[in-house]
Order: sequence, then structure tokens, then C-alpha cells
Amino acid sequence: MTYDVYMHFPVIAIMTLFVGAFCVTLAGKREKLRNVIACISVLVPLTLLSLLIKPVMMDGQIIVYWMGNWEPVEGYAIGIAIEVDPLSLFFGLLVAIAVTASCIYSFQYIKQDDARGSYFTLYLMLSGGVMGIVLSGDLFNIYVMLEVMTFAAVGLTAFRTWNPNAREAAFKYLVVGSVGSTCSLLGTALVYAQCHTLNLAQISAILPGNLNPTMVLAFALLFTGFGCKSFMFPFHPIAADAHGAAPSSVSVLISGVFTKTGVYGIIRVCYFLFRSMGMTSVQTMLVFIGCISMFVCVTMALNQHDFKRLLAFHSISQIGYILTSLGLCTALGVAGGLYHAINHTLFKGLLFLTAGSVLYATGTTYLENLGGLARKMPKTTILFLIGAFSISGIPPFNGFYSKWLIYQATYEKAAETGNIAFALVTVICVVTSVLTLASFIKVGHSVFFGQLAPGCEKAKDPPAGMQLGMGILAALCVFTGLFPNVMMKYIITPAVNVVYNTSLYIDSAMGQGYAAEHLGDAVMPLMNGQLPLIGSWSPISWLVLFVVVLAAVFLVSLTGRGNRVTTCEPDSKHAVFFGGEAAEYSHISGGDLFWGFKHTMRRYLGFMSRVHTGVTNDYVLWAVTATAVILTYCFVFML
Amino acid sequence: MKKNWKRDDLIVRSLADSYLPIALVLGFYVILHGNISPGGGFQGGVLAASGVLLLYLGYGFRGVATALNMERLHKLEAVGAIAYVLFAMLGIFCGYNFCRNVLFDSGNIGDLWSSGTIALMNYSVGFKVLTGVGFLLLLVIYLLATEPGHEHDNTIPTTEDEEGGESE
Repeated sequence: MTYDVYMHFPVIAIMTLFVGAFCVTLAGKREKLRNVIACISVLVPLTLLSLLIKPVMMDGQIIVYWMGNWEPVEGYAIGIAIEVDPLSLFFGLLVAIAVTASCIYSFQYIKQDDARGSYFTLYLMLSGGVMGIVLSGDLFNIYVMLEVMTFAAVGLTAFRTWNPNAREAAFKYLVVGSVGSTCSLLGTALVYAQCHTLNLAQISAILPGNLNPTMVLAFALLFTGFGCKSFMFPFHPIAADAHGAAPSSVSVLISGVFTKTGVYGIIRVCYFLFRSMGMTSVQTMLVFIGCISMFVCVTMALNQHDFKRLLAFHSISQIGYILTSLGLCTALGVAGGLYHAINHTLFKGLLFLTAGSVLYATGTTYLENLGGLARKMPKTTILFLIGAFSISGIPPFNGFYSKWLIYQATYEKAAETGNIAFALVTVICVVTSVLTLASFIKVGHSVFFGQLAPGCEKAKDPPAGMQLGMGILAALCVFTGLFPNVMMKYIITPAVNVVYNTSLYIDSAMGQGYAAEHLGDAVMPLMNGQLPLIGSWSPISWLVLFVVVLAAVFLVSLTGRGNRVTTCEPDSKHAVFFGGEAAEYSHISGGDLFWGFKHTMRRYLGFMSRVHTGVTNDYVLWAVTATAVILTYCFVFML
Repeated sequence: MKKNWKRDDLIVRSLADSYLPIALVLGFYVILHGNISPGGGFQGGVLAASGVLLLYLGYGFRGVATALNMERLHKLEAVGAIAYVLFAMLGIFCGYNFCRNVLFDSGNIGDLWSSGTIALMNYSVGFKVLTGVGFLLLLVIYLLATEPGHEHDNTIPTTEDEEGGESE
């Protein structure tokens, strides 16, 4: 392998973030200097990783960088490596983009808070930890970075210490997060005991052939550990609390970046280290957990009255999509999952930032106290609509394309295996998408449209810095929606290829032929980079269709203008309007909009909100139960 | 728990006086010999930082607050971390990889100065842990001192490095 200067880029990208974190401390009270340092520290990794697209994504070179030149000796990787394959780079880019946009946003956003110095220290620590996880090639380093990331995130959740909710949420996060960290540490230790190495590439070569009970235990523990970091189903309530209390710019990191490390870890564990994704049992487990997360969280979101809590539940719901799609173990499924991962980071980041702008302008995120902000904050409204359309999968935006891929992948899997359950998964995906749209109609209606709520008169669009942060994400949402082919060709397909050809990853780290020697026939065939698609998707034609339908609806509404009948049910709530008194304020709040639906589903929704007690002990019990169930499942079905 | 011992006791103070140098010397010894003996930057740093506790036992909060500047300690911790990365970066500047030992053939094996960059990185870790743990202990002491029912003097430095914002 030739020695090039870009070999150093990944390690510099990680280290810039950490050095930036400490330099921010040195800057002390000098606000301008601190902002400049933070800005440089997030822009440098973004630039360096963008420069890596050419060699890694297009030329297919896998960067293996041994710390201190400690290269493998006699087939044993004793040194610590940084291994950047297209999958790592994909997640690295995603992290860098989200971190940059959120950092630009937060300069203005946290102006009202104190202890801004510690904010940026922790912020850059969190970013550095995440970057370290996705670029590292060493299992123990991944664990260390996981801890760095978790503790920085806990600190940031409790950032607004005057808010008792923030402290409570941080405590829950700390406790439940520790369950996940412990699981991954134990899993790492077991893998090390078995393989005598911590290098991901070498483990991926040695382990798949020897799946003994110890390794099944290690697999279950690592899976639970990373699952906890991605807030999959039984771990989801802490995410809702953390997002509700943390500053919005931090929510972007927790939902867009933090959870992605869990997804990344699950991909590495299932597809690379244990190569257990081929087993039907593991596929079933991942798809099942994904579907449950998807459905439960979207129904929980329908019930929420707080903008940010609602977004938090949607965030987990979208993670459910990603897990489901990755669990299919087909090329299309992995492509859909990865595409949805990057889309989720973009649109969810955008939505959290708009929620932050609403909080910044009005001081509340409680849906019932908001209303009619579209007139006061037109730019924020447009940005919110872009995010809401993207997450609900309205055609010209990016959410549609990735969800389309996921629907196709699940349906194709059903056709391939003849298992009707996978078709049911498609149905759940579609239903979840509809419910997502419904709850964003609710948010849009109760926050941005309707009558101006009392107390919101002084609201105005946030300052330019915050708009820039949101604008970057919105532009990327539109870009990834309009040019999916570019994304597929240069970003997604290389990453999917490497997931399917772990031998490439192993060989570039351990030397040519290492994978063939250890894995033997298990080496999967090379994919030619062509993804089979059932239906084609052309954004422009969909856009035209959308405009035509919109025009038709508009015409129909015009014809009915002459004889509009305004009737209103004499309802006790609205009786005041019929009693001769002037109507003062009759905003249809978020709670009313889907009253009928919620009333029909009241048993289920009531049960769900009773179960989400908010008590740390209960959530730990859930986490431990989930660990036990996953362990039992793995032992019963994987051996 | 009742904390009703007399803090300014002569015995405690003189013991603190005599143990403080020992703790510091032991700590620095472990840091310096990290490359050739058990222990290293982290362990030595923690040992040396225990000096803060001895100071507290002997001289109370006021003594600690006058002897140590909390904010400066906080910044020195950052300096230690940055120094570590810079020493690790030496590898890249000299044409090798990150963390590469670039002064590797200096001194005989077993000498204090025989491990090149590793020793320097170890010293930075020691410095970082010394200041970091010292800062943590100061924070704990500060919380103890500001606890209700405890004597409260005005020498307490604040942990916040800036003023509060306009609104909450």
C-alpha cells in the first residue's frame, strides 16, 4: 500500500475535536475566541473526511492506520488501528455534517445560558467520541469512546441545571446508559478472551467459524450494549426524557449522531465480527425489535404534548426503520437502512433545531401554549415544513426515497423467503409512516398555524447564525431527496459493498489472503454494486404529480367557495361562541386534532402512557429484562 | 453523619504537614518512573493530587482556597491533555504515524530517560491527572464547604468561569 498523506486524515479528524475541546477550556471567558476555536474544530474534520470521499468511496481503498506504526506481527494485530472503510467513512461524514450544523446553530442558541465554556468542551468531547467510534478499528477503543460519548452526553443533558427535569433526565440516562456500557464491556472482554485480539478485522476473520456458547453470550451482550446506545425499543424512554430536557443543539447530536453509533455498532457486530446476520434467528430478532420500536414510539409520539418529547419518540421510531431494514440482510435492505440513517440525521436534526428556535423565541415547547407562529416566524416555519415533509416521506424530499427502499426491501424479502411475516413488516412500515405524518400535522397545526396564541406576540425568527445551521440541514434534506442517484452511487453503494465483502476489510488490515485462509468458503461473493429495484423513482415526475394534485385540490376548493356552509356542533366547549360573547381565542390545540383516533385507541394509548412511568427503577428493570430476553433468545436460537 | 471534629487540630495539622511532602514526592516518583516501573502517569497523578485532601484536613477550606487557584488548575488540565496530543503528533511531523515514538534510541534500557516520546507522553498524562483529580477534589471540598450548616467564608472561588446570562 502506498504511503499517502490522506492516511493521516482520520486520526487528525478525531484529535482535532478533542484538542478543540481542551482549547475551548483555555479560551476561558473570551467568547469570540472560543467560538472561533469551536468552529475550526468542527470544520477541520468535515473537510478532512470530505477529502477522503475520493480515495475511499470512489477508488475503494480501505485506510488502515496503525498507531505508532505497530503493525501486525506473525498474524496477530497487537497494535491499535484506525480502519476507515466506506462504511466508517459514511458514518463519519454523517457525524461531521450534523456536528457542524449544530455547532453553528448553538453559538447564538446558548447565548442565554451560563457556563457556555463547559458546553463547548462537552460538545466537542461528544463529537470526538462519536468520531472515534465510527473510525476506530479496535473493539476496546470503541468501548472507551462509547464511555466518553455517554458521559459527555449525560453532562450535556444536564446542561440547564436550573431545570430539575434536566437533572432527572441526566440521571436516568446515566443509569440506563451504564447498563448498556456494562454489557458492551463484558462482551468485549469475552471476545478478547476468545480471540486474543481486539482488532476488528482480525476478529471478523477468526470469530465467524467458532461460534461456541461463550461467543453467543458475547454476541448477545454486544448487541444489547450497542442497542442501548441506539435507544432501541426497551431503552427508548430515557431518550424521550433526555431530548425533552437537553438544549436542542444537543438533541441533534443525541438523536442524529449518538443513536447512529449504536446502529453502526450493530452493523459491525452482526455483519462483521460474528457474521451472524445470515442466521434467520438474528434477522428475526433485529426486524422484530425494529418493528416494535417503530410502532410503539410512533404511537407514543401521537400522545405527546411537548414538541421535543414528540420529536424524541419519532427519532426512535425512525431508528426502528433503520434496524428493520438492516435486519433483512439483503443488499437493498442495507442500502435502505444506511440511506435512512443519513436522512434521519438530516431531517431530525432540522426538526430539533426548529423546535429549539421555537423555544428560543417563545420560551416554551409545550404544544398547547403555542400557535400561529407562521406569521411571526415565517422562515422557521418553512424550515420546519421541509423537515416535517422529509420525515413523513412526502415525495420530493429525502424521507420518501429511503422509506421507498425499505418498503421494497421488506416486500422483496417476503417474496424471496415466502414468509408472509415480512409483508406484514411492510404494512407496519407504511402505517408508521402515516402515523408520523399525522403527528406532524398535529405539530404543524398547533405550533405554526391557526390563531396566534397569547404570549407569542413577541416571537420572531431566530438570528442569522441559527438560521444558517438550520439552512444547511434543510438544503441537504432537499439535495438528498432530489438527487438520490448521486447519493446511491457515491455514498451508499460503496458502504453496502463493504458490508457484503468483509474479506476486503480483513485483507486490507491483516494482509492479502488472511480472510480466505480463516474464513475459507464463508467469503461472500462480491456484489457488483447494482441494486435491484422493483419500482423506479424519479423525483421530478413525482414533483410534477404533486403540483398537479395540489392544483386540482385548489380548484375544487375554489368551486366550493360560493356556498360554504359553516356549521358547528353545539358542544359544551364551544358553547361560549353561541352565547353572544365574542370569540377570543379558539385555537384547535394539538390534543384536539386527533381526538377521534385517540378515543378509539384509548385503551392502548392509556396502557402505553401508564407503562412509561418515568421512574428510573422501572426503566432499569426494562433494560435488564431486555438484556435477559436477548440473551435467552440468542442461546435458544443461535446455537 | 455528624461532622463535629475540630478541624484546626494541631495533631492533624502537623501530620498533614509531614505527609504532604511525602505524598507529593511519591506521586512525582511514580509519574517519573512510569516507563520503567509499575504505575505511571495516572497512578502517580492521583497520588500527588491527594495532597489537596491533606491540605484540606490540615488547614480547612480556607487553606485550600488560598493555596490553590481552582480556575488555573482547570486550565492546566487542558494544557496537559493538549501536550499529550502534541507529543503524539510528533510522530506525524517526523514522517511516521500518530503516537510513534520518535526518540526511541535514547539512553540504555532501564534508565530513567530511555523511552523517548513515551516518557514525555506519560508525563503529560501525569500532569493532566494531577490537575484534573486535584480539580475534582477541590470541587468536592467546595460542595462540602457550601453545604448548609457548615461554616461559610467568602474565600470560595466559583466554578463558573463566567457570569450568568440575561435571563434564566
